[in-house]
Amino acid sequence: MIVKTMRPALVFSILLCLLLTVNGVLVLDSRLRGQDEKASLARLETLTSGLGLTDLAVATEARYTRHPAVSDMMAPFMDHPGAIEHFPTGTFWLPPPR
Amino acid sequence: MIPKNIEKQLNILDYALSSLWRRRLKSLSVLLVFAAVIFLLASFQMVTQALTAKAKQLLVHTPEITLQQMSAGRQEAIALTYSHQLAEIFGIRKVVPRIWGYYFDEVRLANYTIIGMDLSEIPGNALLDTTLLSGTMPEKAEQGKVVVGQSITKSLELGGRLTFSLFRPDLSLKSFEISGEFAPDTDILSHDLIVMNLADARDLFSIPTGLATDLCVYVTNPQEIETIAKKISAALPGVRVLTRPQIQKTYQVVFGWRSGFGSICLLAALAAFAILAWDKASGLSPEEKREIAILKVLGWETGDILAVRFWESVSVSGLACLVGITAAYIHVVYFAASLFRPVLMGWSVLRPELQLLPRLAAGDILLILAFTVIPYLAATVIPAWRNATVPADAALGG
Repeated sequence: MIVKTMRPALVFSILLCLLLTVNGVLVLDSRLRGQDEKASLARLETLTSGLGLTDLAVATEARYTRHPAVSDMMAPFMDHPGAIEHFPTGTFWLPPPR
Repeated sequence: MIPKNIEKQLNILDYALSSLWRRRLKSLSVLLVFAAVIFLLASFQMVTQALTAKAKQLLVHTPEITLQQMSAGRQEAIALTYSHQLAEIFGIRKVVPRIWGYYFDEVRLANYTIIGMDLSEIPGNALLDTTLLSGTMPEKAEQGKVVVGQSITKSLELGGRLTFSLFRPDLSLKSFEISGEFAPDTDILSHDLIVMNLADARDLFSIPTGLATDLCVYVTNPQEIETIAKKISAALPGVRVLTRPQIQKTYQVVFGWRSGFGSICLLAALAAFAILAWDKASGLSPEEKREIAILKVLGWETGDILAVRFWESVSVSGLACLVGITAAYIHVVYFAASLFRPVLMGWSVLRPELQLLPRLAAGDILLILAFTVIPYLAATVIPAWRNATVPADAALGG
């Protein structure tokens, strides 16, 4: 009932404010997550230098998306002459620049 | 007291919002489709930005130079005797051989990444135990001891057991004992890893003595990486020389809009807007033309009618943008980009717990706006301007 008596611009502004409040909460949460991330980042850096790692372990299905940095552009087509690239992750990852 | 001009614009905004509410079903459909397109674009942008940023932060710690033996366009085992030739190049601090590769578990259909190296040889190994949830890294003399990632523990269904076996190429079994497990927050690097010492990896893969998978070269002065890489290329012609900047560059371009999936997201957005623009540009509906004509008869100027359409478009596109970007952030951070996982990880059996935290810069938001809001504004205001310049009596059919 109250909404009906309000001018539309005011209702719209309230809606925008609500959405911006949600965004504000998300920003605050991202700050907190960022602090947690700093702690884990130190561990990740130690692991990278300690094992000499070259790649992120995101996709484990194909060697050229598991280790794109140390694979060459021919790796997806190496299985046999005329082989085509067939792993789904190949659609997400671009070939490394060489 | 509100200035007269602002009061006028507020009244026009009121009228525009009432007009949108009158056609609420259509407005809501446009808003939802618009928000969905922005959600898709923003989600892709956030996932790639988060992964690229993570890689950028971590890969500054990779070995300065990695050497791989190439033969007939394929990578092969590299001879350890190359170390003697490398020792003659001034500026090289250390050469560490490494055996690594993939072990395909035929029972679980999963690929494990095996890394074998003498950890005491690697610079920066002192704190490696801090990356473990429990246990310690295997010592050089400890045969059969391994450290495993989180996905390996789950995949092998070890329960409380600490031992497991893997097949050698001749199908004989090699037993291992778990001496430690990587912490879950290192999943993005370690979830599929089995780390062991060099001799165990050599035994598991049956790699002859005197060969390794690659050589990690550490240089004294990082400024000289390129110079030393050139010297190595000249000294060892059949060897591929990968430098740290090259590896870092890979991850700056490997996730991008030019990838197949990125192109699909972008093309879907462009197709949606092309259809919308076509619909709008092909002319306003008779009701809309009539509304404009009546407003003109009532004394509204062309500028006022354009302002109504402008506020309508800004309201719809602004709201859609806010909803789309917020939903994309929630999707990426709280649901670990679950909609993209089928493409991002494909047929991978071992999947890491992705903890992505995108940091949207002004440039990223501008890119999304440029692809969405600006075409929408143009697609709605231009037909309204064309119509608003037609005399009212003509529009009413008089």
